[in-house]
Amino acid sequence: MIKLVAKRLVAMVLILLVLTAVIFLLQKLSHTDPVHAYLGANASKSAIAHESAVLGYNRPLPDQYFRYVHDLFTGNLQESLRTRRPVATDIRAYLPATVELTVFSLILAVVLGALLGLASAARWRGSGIFRIIMVSGASAPAFLLALLGILLFYNKLHLLPATGDTSFTNAPSGPTGMVVVDTVLHGQWSMAWDGFRHLILPGVCVALGPAVSIGRVLRTSLTTNLRSDFVRTAKAKGLTERAVLFRHALRNSASAALSMTGLQMGLMFAGVVVIETIFAWPGLGLYTDQSIPAADFPAIAGVTLILGMGYVVINTIVDILQAVADPRITLT
Amino acid sequence: MAIAEPYAPQPLVRGLARLREAQTVSRRASAGDRVAIGGFLLLILVALVGPLLAPHSPIQPAGIPFLSPFHGGFLFGTDEVGQDIFTRVLYGLRASLIASAAVITSGVVIGGAIGLVAGTAGGWIDTVLMRITDLFLALPGPVLAIAVVAALGPSYLHTLIAVAIVWWPFYARIVRGEVRALATRPHLEAARLAGIGRVRLARRHLLPGAVPAVLVTASLDVGNLVVTLAALSFLGLGAPAPSPELGSMAARGLQYLLQEWWVPVIPALAVFVVAFLANLAGDGIRDLLGDR
Repeated sequence: MIKLVAKRLVAMVLILLVLTAVIFLLQKLSHTDPVHAYLGANASKSAIAHESAVLGYNRPLPDQYFRYVHDLFTGNLQESLRTRRPVATDIRAYLPATVELTVFSLILAVVLGALLGLASAARWRGSGIFRIIMVSGASAPAFLLALLGILLFYNKLHLLPATGDTSFTNAPSGPTGMVVVDTVLHGQWSMAWDGFRHLILPGVCVALGPAVSIGRVLRTSLTTNLRSDFVRTAKAKGLTERAVLFRHALRNSASAALSMTGLQMGLMFAGVVVIETIFAWPGLGLYTDQSIPAADFPAIAGVTLILGMGYVVINTIVDILQAVADPRITLT
Repeated sequence: MAIAEPYAPQPLVRGLARLREAQTVSRRASAGDRVAIGGFLLLILVALVGPLLAPHSPIQPAGIPFLSPFHGGFLFGTDEVGQDIFTRVLYGLRASLIASAAVITSGVVIGGAIGLVAGTAGGWIDTVLMRITDLFLALPGPVLAIAVVAALGPSYLHTLIAVAIVWWPFYARIVRGEVRALATRPHLEAARLAGIGRVRLARRHLLPGAVPAVLVTASLDVGNLVVTLAALSFLGLGAPAPSPELGSMAARGLQYLLQEWWVPVIPALAVFVVAFLANLAGDGIRDLLGDR
């Protein structure tokens, strides 16, 4: 067990190093010259050469990469070309809203995915309709859901808000930066409810695609399990249909659904970026969307690094959880 | 199923046989599958000849701005500068289908080559190639694609390159898996014993075996790709402003959503229709080629 965790952690560190290397190379490929950006557009050639030497940009690439990783460890993500602030400071300001939206969407995706998977695997009348629902869900781009959601629930029914994460200007801004969590911590229940209502539309739009993928994997795994010998034995013992489904089949299918959930996080992050721009959600996605037209590569690199790290760490945890839950998974 | 013992009571055996029969029949492509595949082929045809069907120019304004659908002879209405949305959707369909075909082709070629070499060679070559593939798979593809386009500079071609970079590992894994599974079969053993060279073995005996799996994956992939590429285009990473791309049309129409809903919604719906038909057709092709 300890050996497995150690091995997964070593692999995680390696993957993170590759991630930093990829982002470092992209930065070299991008047309943004950090020295030029730092000194301004009218800097003379000699000033640039001098500053390059001071900052170490004339050294060989491996050297520069080493410095880059070293900077990362000290929390230095360079300076944004657009906001003129350190990228790390910007990210600290925008991250909490993204975490809030992502966690909410993740919970929604898992619950919806489980429901879809169970409903379409169980063979009751009308379960065929779930196939159409799932294909539709897999085909709908997140921005279409957002557009239709805004038209219906905001514009037509006036049920849900469609911009930002709160309608209060005096909402407490500490200690986590997540509106719902902060307002609950301060005991501001009406503000918390308002924050929650702001979460619903963007959350559903982000969650639906991943929910369908989770549901599909769960259904496939469930139908295989329901045909297997141990389910036949359980049925022969006289267990109810429900007990067989939940205690025997579902428990054995959970592992597949869990690993799919981990993999879907990549899609989910991309969805969060798109959805945040539509709902003006003050998170990393909005920050990215504003950085793209400004060709602000340091900012985009910073966001990519943070989201990539989140993805790698989450998937490592999923891997370890799977091994804990299912003793058949051993070291490979 | 390990039930058909010789002493098993007759009715059970017959019942099981019938059950298995039912399963194979239900796996065969249904009429719905054929309709889906036909519909998708029709869509490809429409997209290919799109410019011939288009009544107006995709760039030049064709009428008054913000005409709603079915008004003034514009099927899908006009946008904020009076461009014909129907024409632009036709061009956008073609762009997104060509883009996903290009990414899938590159994925199949690059991933297929790596998977084939790894699966055929085995040993340390296999280990090294698959470790590299797994490293790519361990990174969040869509997020990385955003960074790659941002680094290269937004354009249609750069989007294709970025997505292709994160897309091939799936194909490498699939081809390698199929090849490894095939390599243990008796007829491959026979071919090897007959003294066939490695290259010929890979080309004539292993590669054809991986084709159905790759075909099924590729056809199920079209829908994903259309949606992913549209998302990148929505973020402004595709071709610059006036060119007709479904994602960027939806993004630029966003500000008019509450008054002129058709400007952003119709391009977004077009993405959905392409992906929906592609996914149904993909399911159909999977059923045609046998379950996977």
